[in-house]
Amino acid sequence: MTTNRRVAVMSPQTRLAHARRRHRGRWRPATLDPVDAPTAAALYHRQRARAIASLGLLFALLLGLPLLLSVLPSLDDVRLLGVPASWLALVVVPFPAMVLLAFRHLRRAEHVEDASGEDPA
Amino acid sequence: MIAAFAVAPVVLVTLLIGLRGVAAMRTTSDFLVASRRVSPLLNSAAVSGEYLSAASFLGVAGLVVKDGVGSLWYPVGFTAGYIAMLTLVAAPMRRSGALTVPDFAEARLASPSLRRLAAVVVLVISGLYLVPQFRTAGLVLSVVGGTPYWVGVVLAGVAVSATLALGGMRAATYVQAFQFVFKLLLFIIPAIWLLLEVGPTVREQAVHPVEFTEFERDTSVVFRVGATLDVPPGAAEIAPDGTRTALPPGEWQVPAGRTVVFPEGSPAPELRGETAPGAAGWERPLLDLRHEGYPLLSTWAVLIATMLGTMGLPHVIMRFHTSPDGRAARRTAAFTVALLSVFYLFPGIYGALGRVLVPHLYLSGATDSAVVALPAQVDTGATGTLFTGLLTAGAFAAFLATSLGLVLVVSGAISHDLVPGGLRQLRVAVVVAAAVVVLLALPAARLDAGTLVTWGFTVAASTFCPLLVLGIWWPRLTATGAIAGVTNGLLGSSGAFLVSLLDPPVDGWLAVLLVQPAPWSVPLAFVTMVGVSLFGRPPPWSTAAMLRLHLHENRSSLIADRAAVARDLGHSSWSARRSSAVRRITRRLVR
Repeated sequence: MTTNRRVAVMSPQTRLAHARRRHRGRWRPATLDPVDAPTAAALYHRQRARAIASLGLLFALLLGLPLLLSVLPSLDDVRLLGVPASWLALVVVPFPAMVLLAFRHLRRAEHVEDASGEDPA
Repeated sequence: MIAAFAVAPVVLVTLLIGLRGVAAMRTTSDFLVASRRVSPLLNSAAVSGEYLSAASFLGVAGLVVKDGVGSLWYPVGFTAGYIAMLTLVAAPMRRSGALTVPDFAEARLASPSLRRLAAVVVLVISGLYLVPQFRTAGLVLSVVGGTPYWVGVVLAGVAVSATLALGGMRAATYVQAFQFVFKLLLFIIPAIWLLLEVGPTVREQAVHPVEFTEFERDTSVVFRVGATLDVPPGAAEIAPDGTRTALPPGEWQVPAGRTVVFPEGSPAPELRGETAPGAAGWERPLLDLRHEGYPLLSTWAVLIATMLGTMGLPHVIMRFHTSPDGRAARRTAAFTVALLSVFYLFPGIYGALGRVLVPHLYLSGATDSAVVALPAQVDTGATGTLFTGLLTAGAFAAFLATSLGLVLVVSGAISHDLVPGGLRQLRVAVVVAAAVVVLLALPAARLDAGTLVTWGFTVAASTFCPLLVLGIWWPRLTATGAIAGVTNGLLGSSGAFLVSLLDPPVDGWLAVLLVQPAPWSVPLAFVTMVGVSLFGRPPPWSTAAMLRLHLHENRSSLIADRAAVARDLGHSSWSARRSSAVRRITRRLVR
């Protein structure tokens, strides 16, 4: 059998590295440099506070709106442009509110990081 | 014919884009996370494109027709999931540097058994999510084009596996982003056309729901699956030879495969165990699972399952790993909320119109096809056919995009997490996974797609959601605790679904919690994780491993000024990174 196989040209080191079985053992992400540890801890605390605030608002919206609709069945009879207000409340209220909430949280979370980048605590 | 014209372009464009992604595909990272070079806007379009599955494109409108306006809570929960993702998961998850969820679990907790468990959970969730996608592909093609069921399933399998095996995540990214725009247009334009075309009478009827009790025109109902109907006195059908024959009142077992033509003015039979579209309670803006009379509990349960489930869906999390850094991952999540919100303004329109125009679909359990059935009811000419074609193309794009992401995750779980593998094994795994799903989907035509997808969401909510949230925010989590919590969540949620399939004699709020176990299975998983972890001792480096996830990339303290910072760690820069030094400092910082 003629052996005109095409062979990739590479340095001896690369060839060795490719020939070796890939090492797959315990893998851990990059460790924390102690210099960065205070920054990381400060970021963790601030981001946690902001995350809890945003999640609180989200849960208030998602659990509160069904509650409101169930205690106020009269909203079914109120009509805006012919559509029952309670139907509109499922579409027109939650989606814009969630978009606002998402961008508010994004801005606050990025602000925390920007502030800590300029002034390492 | 319509089906061919609608679906062929979608499949071809998918394959073409897939071919473009072939270039420069050398490593596992290229294949699984597109070399992490995807900008936030492109990525959020891809996330949305992947996320808007058949369940969103067809399912929500179908549920509105069948169960009522309250079904519009599903999309709210789907979207809210991305806010939870944004606040809790996106950025730290990306900063872990993992390629898959099992990778992350091992990175944070250094436990190979947890990695394997997580890979199995990925397979369970993806399987529960994939089979309905392929099934819907088969059903929609057979409804619109009259092809046998298997044609659509096999077509979807071939398109997905070819695109992925060739182009991996890069191809999937471009395909999904393209298909998001495609789906958005193909959903919004027909919705507006329908609203304008139906006329004021139908629009008036759409907002004043009345119960579906009689056929307003000659209606043909195809029973793909057998059904038990309660026939009221006076109902009739039109025999194939055109004569009108009265149906005997009482119970009627319709065999699978039967087509019944009901004449105009005939009273409508009722499906055993279901209420007709528009019946009392249909117009209530709350979900009432199984009509048990606990609408508030049902709505909350569904919201919790969909919201927290989204956070744990492995194919969605995988997409966040394609961002270049944590900040981009966070932006991706925020943009996704906006993109999804635009799309989800419209399913309600299809649902409300579907209740007026195609309520008979509920008799054969085919409300899923309400969206594609609507244009033909409004316009029987070429325009109606055109819009049916457009919506079919959109629906096909919907399950192609979702299946792409899921098959990629499955192949990653098998060939990256369970057994070591390189690029070639990943490509083989893609083809094998697609083939297995096609085989699973072939006998699944009569399964309820909604049940499977809800099951997948609930499993994700009760396994990966606590694992990610506690892994990212709680330094004391141990590997044992994580394994116990994930196992408990998996068994609890899946067990409840398996029990509910047996139809046990429970009712009231217990039945609601059995059909939708998220309100107890998610807290159960959290409590198990916390409880078991508190009994054990976290490894000494665990606080440092957790804090590392919160450190952002664009900090100014790079090597240059790192030297300037006074430190008490001796002279060698290497000793500064010794784990004991990190441990000492972090212990002081996080109490």
